[in-house]
Amino acid sequence: MFELFKNSRKILGMNSRNLEFIRPYNRLKAKRLADDKLLSKKILKKNGAAVPKLIAKIKTLDELENFDWQKLPHSFALKPNRGFGGEGIIVVYGKKKGRDDAWIKADRSLITIDDLKNHIRNILDGSYSLSNTPDVAFFEERLQLLKLFKPYTHKGIPDIRVIVFNKVPIMAMLRLPTKESGGKANLQQGAIGVGIDMATGVTTTAIIGKGKFIEKIPDTRLSTSGIRIPYWKDILELASTAQEISNLGFLGVDIAIDKEYGPTILELNARPGLSIQVANLAGLTERLKRISGLKIKTVSKGVRMGMDLFGGEVEEEVEEISGRKVIGTVEKVKLTGKDGKTVEVEAKIDTGAGYTSICTELARELGFEKMVEEYEKITQTYADLKDLPKKERWGIYKHLPDITSTRIIVHSSHGITYRPTIKVNISMHNWLIPAKVAVIDRSHLKYPIIIGRRNLNKFLIDVKK
Amino acid sequence: MEISISPIIRFFMTEGVPFETIILILMLPIIATLIAFMRQVVGIKAFGIYTPLIITFAFLATNGIKYGIAIFLAVIFIGMLMRFVLKPFRLLYLPRVAIMLTFVALIILFFLALGGSLQRTGLASVSIFPILIMITLVEKFVAVQIEKGNKTALILALETLVISIIGFYIASWSSLIKFLVTYPWAVLFTIPLNIAIGKWTGLRLSEYIRFRQVIKRIQ
Repeated sequence: MFELFKNSRKILGMNSRNLEFIRPYNRLKAKRLADDKLLSKKILKKNGAAVPKLIAKIKTLDELENFDWQKLPHSFALKPNRGFGGEGIIVVYGKKKGRDDAWIKADRSLITIDDLKNHIRNILDGSYSLSNTPDVAFFEERLQLLKLFKPYTHKGIPDIRVIVFNKVPIMAMLRLPTKESGGKANLQQGAIGVGIDMATGVTTTAIIGKGKFIEKIPDTRLSTSGIRIPYWKDILELASTAQEISNLGFLGVDIAIDKEYGPTILELNARPGLSIQVANLAGLTERLKRISGLKIKTVSKGVRMGMDLFGGEVEEEVEEISGRKVIGTVEKVKLTGKDGKTVEVEAKIDTGAGYTSICTELARELGFEKMVEEYEKITQTYADLKDLPKKERWGIYKHLPDITSTRIIVHSSHGITYRPTIKVNISMHNWLIPAKVAVIDRSHLKYPIIIGRRNLNKFLIDVKK
Repeated sequence: MEISISPIIRFFMTEGVPFETIILILMLPIIATLIAFMRQVVGIKAFGIYTPLIITFAFLATNGIKYGIAIFLAVIFIGMLMRFVLKPFRLLYLPRVAIMLTFVALIILFFLALGGSLQRTGLASVSIFPILIMITLVEKFVAVQIEKGNKTALILALETLVISIIGFYIASWSSLIKFLVTYPWAVLFTIPLNIAIGKWTGLRLSEYIRFRQVIKRIQ
């Protein structure tokens, strides 16, 4: 009970955010900058931070009537200047073939100049702006989706929200658009938020919408953890730079990665939401406390501090001292079998087993189907074989293709049996382990492979991981 | 009555201020504090401070809270319905609200007549001011509806209703009224109370629920 209370003090709530961080650190002028997309774009660009290129802006109905539509490129994004929550944004991906007055949207539907005009009229009227004040519409270059993110994203483009305080990036979250969110990377609209380890840029836990925990992207088998975000350090540097430029002491920066230009700032947020704490299963207050009051002179120093302080620091220290990698009880591994055939699976790390075993099904996938087939023809049981001299016993097995030896396996459901072993390369956390693995039917078990002590000497196991 | 009336209250009354009015005005800081507390400590947002406050007083002024609640729900329901009806017209804000107000007013009028024909005279005799207050609720509702969507607007409306009902029972609590009549200065205690609430930086009750997983699983 007391523990829970203590933990709750590490979490940033609305009251504390408004009173202790936004009020003292985000001046009105700076807040206005964040709410004005065109202005923040201009100032960020002037100071050398990457932003999507502005194509054109439309301020009045007159300008709309005289607008030269042919100067628009094949793909672009149309946005209201003071829009919020991703409302009122139209993205087109290319011109309709054979027509110069129509473009194609993400859902393959057509949008004509007349439709665009109508939409812009609504933007100018203020239909999408805060408190419905008249607004400005602008066109900007469309960012191109990185190949890495393609399978994880439903339409739209994912972005990375980084909270920066006192030049230090303190927490980050990858936001993935879903079908529900309509291609928008907004958690309130049903997007996915994935926590990120600050030191490595590798994703950890994930939530969908306002706070339901998930482990896989809905309707796919893709795990939300373990995604390594490219340009990680550049992203943090860009976020910290944005804070320096914007003068917002407590800032949420949204950064997308463009296929060509790399990390690009999408938006500044003077009142960043608090759900990022749920996605990361970590509290902001705790992190804010550790860096408030420090004098941090440069962006690179701030980024270094963020990575050192808020990454999986303990683990890294242990790894440095012992020279061994810390792993959990279940890890993703890549197996390479015959003729370079590879399969990626989740492996159970089992220090209770001496050796590594894989499922017969998995052995087949790795190119050992012949061996499995031949082995299944052998009818002698352990009882038949155990008293035979070693040589004779080997005689029964040695004709199996790719077999390296046999091993006695005691198994809860198969009893004691002789099993063939084969050579497989296991790659775990970028370490390559050449292993002799026993083949046994594990189809009734959760993991198709267990890795035993013999192949674990380069690792330390953290059962809580 | 055996309660002792404070001299200051007696003074107001001899100057011709009605007793009811004095009590309502003294209740105002208490209800306002309740709303501030609900927002900052409990985490119930409602439509700001003005709307729940004025709705509470509208409830106090209708004959029995049930008519008040009925009118409130009717107004919200019409507000939601009209959003769908008016959507295809793509109107600007003020004309849209004006149309909504027209419909709400007409339907309330119909309601009152219906109450009369069902021999529910209590409804028809509700004074005009609480009804007007309720009708203006539509604007608040529509503003939120446009900015944050139907669901949020509905949640905020229900939160407003909850706070107003609590406010209603507090303001018509006879022991509290007796206490205020005896010690009217006690309302000044709401000031230090509000200073404390205004400096409160702890988690709101609703945030304990929102962050329950983080609280449980943080190291």
